Amino acid sequence: MVAAAQSLWRFLTHRTVLRLIGLGLGATFVYASLDKIAHPDRFADVVREYDMLPLIFVNAFALMMPAVEVVTGTVLALGLWRRAAGLLATALCVAFMVAIAQAEIRGMKVECGCFDVSGMSSTQVTWGLFVRDVGLVAASALVWRKG
Amino acid sequence: MNDPGESPGAGRSLVGRTKSLAVRLMARLPHAARAAALVGIAFVFAACSDAANPLGIRWVLSPDGRAGIPRVFENRLPEVRAKKALEMLRSHEATFVDARDAKDYQENHIPGAISIPMRQWNTAWPQMRHKVSRKATLLLYCYGGKCGLSTRMGKRLLELGYEKPIVLEYGWKEWAEARFPTVKPLPPAKGGR
Repeated sequence: MVAAAQSLWRFLTHRTVLRLIGLGLGATFVYASLDKIAHPDRFADVVREYDMLPLIFVNAFALMMPAVEVVTGTVLALGLWRRAAGLLATALCVAFMVAIAQAEIRGMKVECGCFDVSGMSSTQVTWGLFVRDVGLVAASALVWRKG
Repeated sequence: MNDPGESPGAGRSLVGRTKSLAVRLMARLPHAARAAALVGIAFVFAACSDAANPLGIRWVLSPDGRAGIPRVFENRLPEVRAKKALEMLRSHEATFVDARDAKDYQENHIPGAISIPMRQWNTAWPQMRHKVSRKATLLLYCYGGKCGLSTRMGKRLLELGYEKPIVLEYGWKEWAEARFPTVKPLPPAKGGR
């Protein structure tokens, strides 16, 4: 059991595997940011619905977050500054998890705003998304600590 | 002056040497500082993309400003209170549009309102668009002051070229609390007889 865990760890921390994880994460972040950058007003609506920020910060957050996503994603995908980008990616994913958890705990019917903010039929927040984000946090933290 | 022993930058142009110095400095930055630098780059990116975006929004809201309203629509999506909306209903000045979920519309709604559930916009709008005139005044309502669905619909309609969407500021909640007309009787008010 321990030997299996050790070999899995060796595999995950192998340079090439870390590069691939960074590439996958980067592509995910870039893809997730595109619709939000194109429609900042719609993303601001989603941010407001989460009801976590004072109204005055909603627009600024809706503009900044996708920009951080696209910059982090690009840097990760290109394999530059992987540890710094991994740190930012981890912070972003933790923030997503907090937002999802508080929405679920408060019983809010909120659109996820994860990838698509134009559809309105897009994913609603569920604990399943929280679990998905646990995976993303694990991958980001791996790149941050071992990249 | 170049130090001959330092060689990677030696003999290169000033631009090359500056670049090499910048790269070396960056390489020494701790990860947190690099992360902060990335956030700075993101800020510049966000400022540029927002300025270039026709649907860009304001970074800082005015005290009476509403979040998520594109600069171009700022004065084109007025809000009214229930009393004014009642006048509009009585004078047939506006088409009422219910942006709530279909089940809530079926439960009760404002007389004459049509249902376009904003959460199912992609499927609901193509079915209902023929019922809505581009030139008509459209009074949009959802659950209450914080629901936001009616404001979202207003923005979509403005983007599509509809001329006069108006948002019922406190939505169905204020309308029902004021005991204004509804298609089905409202449950007795809390604390009422």
